[in-house]
Amino acid sequence: MDLSFSPAQQILQQSARAFLQQRCSITRVQELALDPRGFAADLWKEIATLGWPGLLISPELGGSGGTVGEALALVEELGRACFPGPFIASAVVATTALGLAPGRRARDLLAALAVGERICTLAVLEESGRLDPDALALPIAPSGGVTGRKLFVPDAHVATDVIVLGRGAAGPTAVVLPMDRAGIGAHPLDSMAGDKLFELELADVAIRPDDLLGPPGGGWALLGPAFRVGALARCAEMAGAAQRVLELCVEHARVRVQGGRPIGGYQAIQHACADLYRDVESARWLTWEAEWKLTSGRPDAHAAVAAAKAYGAEAALRVARRGHQIMGAIGYCEEHPLHLFHKRILTAALDAGDSTWHLEAVAASIGLPQDRR
Amino acid sequence: MDFGRSAVEQAFADEVCDFLRAHPPETFALDGTDAGYGSGAHSGAFTRALGERGWLSLTWPREHGGRERPMGFLLVLLEELAAAGAPFGPLGGCLQVSESIIRNGSATLQREILPQVARGLATFWQGYSEPGAGSDLLALETRARLEGDHWVLDGRKIWSSHAGIATYGTVLARTDPASTRNRGLSMLMVDNRLPGMDVRPIRSLTGQVYHYEVFMDGVRVPRDWVMGKPGEGFGQLLRGLDTDRFWGRFYKAPFLRRILGLLVEYVRAERPDDAVARHRLAHAATEIAALRALFHRAAWLIEHGLPATGPVSAAKIMAAELGQRVLSLGMELLGSFGVLRAGSRWARLRGEIEHQYQTSWGHTLAGGTSEIQRTTIAVRALGLPAEPRGR
Repeated sequence: MDLSFSPAQQILQQSARAFLQQRCSITRVQELALDPRGFAADLWKEIATLGWPGLLISPELGGSGGTVGEALALVEELGRACFPGPFIASAVVATTALGLAPGRRARDLLAALAVGERICTLAVLEESGRLDPDALALPIAPSGGVTGRKLFVPDAHVATDVIVLGRGAAGPTAVVLPMDRAGIGAHPLDSMAGDKLFELELADVAIRPDDLLGPPGGGWALLGPAFRVGALARCAEMAGAAQRVLELCVEHARVRVQGGRPIGGYQAIQHACADLYRDVESARWLTWEAEWKLTSGRPDAHAAVAAAKAYGAEAALRVARRGHQIMGAIGYCEEHPLHLFHKRILTAALDAGDSTWHLEAVAASIGLPQDRR
Repeated sequence: MDFGRSAVEQAFADEVCDFLRAHPPETFALDGTDAGYGSGAHSGAFTRALGERGWLSLTWPREHGGRERPMGFLLVLLEELAAAGAPFGPLGGCLQVSESIIRNGSATLQREILPQVARGLATFWQGYSEPGAGSDLLALETRARLEGDHWVLDGRKIWSSHAGIATYGTVLARTDPASTRNRGLSMLMVDNRLPGMDVRPIRSLTGQVYHYEVFMDGVRVPRDWVMGKPGEGFGQLLRGLDTDRFWGRFYKAPFLRRILGLLVEYVRAERPDDAVARHRLAHAATEIAALRALFHRAAWLIEHGLPATGPVSAAKIMAAELGQRVLSLGMELLGSFGVLRAGSRWARLRGEIEHQYQTSWGHTLAGGTSEIQRTTIAVRALGLPAEPRGR
């Protein structure tokens, strides 16, 4: 057992924390959340020069060939800063899927993602809202037009490319399309969570042979592993955000005086803070255990990621919700940062498989699969 | 990041599993009840069997007859024993006391006690709480005064687990009559066979005896049977409680995983189409996994000599409260059968849920209540101001 961070992870953590403190203040996050466009092109450029979007891309394509563990160490810091934008969608999930796809198209796109020239989002969910290969209805034929719609597509307004997962004759099929392909329209969804979500409308969008990611019917084989890494990244983001909520609450409890002493000196508040601490620590280390299982190829990795995501979402949301009670009325204000972290955790909890979806995988792993007949 | 066992640790785990297969836990005679922490019942026979294999002194220095294995071996041993449902009730106490004796015990204690511990012949009870000193432990009234080469000990301890079947107690007593609160306390090692010891059982709500009340009337304890120096008892206590919270609970996650396995088998057999039961068991599985990860984090900090009070207290709270939730879920799943005692004709899962459900209600109290743990986290790990003490 070695629960220490590698030198590379430590350097990433330290440099990310310093950079984000300086360049991504909570005021900036607040402005971006309230702004309908809400994308910090300057920050994206700067993180590209730091090499973050290329962290999971191989050096021969201009990335730094980092590990999933290094990406998670970075994402914890992004969560702590409530860093907005399509980092997890583009630099983790889409990047992982493209990395698994054969062919020149995926390689060219990865090379452009690595230097921050392009941003790739994902269009998977539909009206059922279910992350499930059987729930895919959008028909995709290897040639010909695609017509239909996708929901909850993150940052479609700034993405240059989109991976669309649909139903092909041979099963779930993935294509990658430039956002400026004729017939693609993006309509913003009015989300309370400060994230930028879109409905993607596809009107007879032409599919070219090299748009295919992997073989027809092989879409879930690419996206499934990418969602697993994405789920871990969302866990790390939630752990980082929850840690920051804990810090905000403890700081408030130290300085807020009522009845002649800091409220943090009253057991009611102390014990609430202790519960936040337990939730943050347990969710964080369950995430790192799942990362180890996934990275080292353990047979129970799938179930471990599912457990980490289901537990992490529940624990981090508990932290955010209890945090409001500790923080008192000031935390109810728009100008106070607490709700930004709360909503970021909510977004992360729903992305890359919600708790119900992941609990199904956990149920199967303990011998209770959904349909055993 | 590596949460796995090393090759030598895995080889040791295989050795433990081989032993458990060759000597099934149910074949050992029990002499005390199972308090539900995950370490099973108190069994002198099983403790001696562990001693024969050198597993009670795994990590001790060679000069004390130990095998100088790293701490990871102990984690492996405890996890495998708990997963198998073995009766290793006294082991946590042995680990805690032997660690203290090696670090702070007099030469006499090291010479007299350690060889007995290693062979499984010495087990321990803790003499901390008193009728008037529970969460406010420093209100204790037990006293010892020096007379020649002996401490003369007078007082009364309560809620001491296994005191009636253990061989020695670690008793916190005020040895400086002029002192108050955390000064002037000493931790004495008291032999149960000494004249003046009166150990009386307390029947608990399970119908069984786990706790005892111990009356000490002029008990003469040899002068050097003290842990650390006289007057340093409070430091001994804090270190002891820290290690007790960890070593006495580390195996709760594999224990709960075993209970979960029983419930899964029950649901598969009795209500295979119950989607709510499936969902709740899967949810419990995620919590048990999180508890295990938290204990491993604490273990890693302890192994590296880093501050671990926060994670250990958090893990203790979670172990106790999650245990109550899992056993409550068990009672709900078993429905009317849940209340039937072990041995009843209609009892399900051998009545194990019934017993462990009842024991679970003591776990948020023992070893420092969950309230005390939360205060500890708030003040010691998060740096919040301590609540003013009443007079």
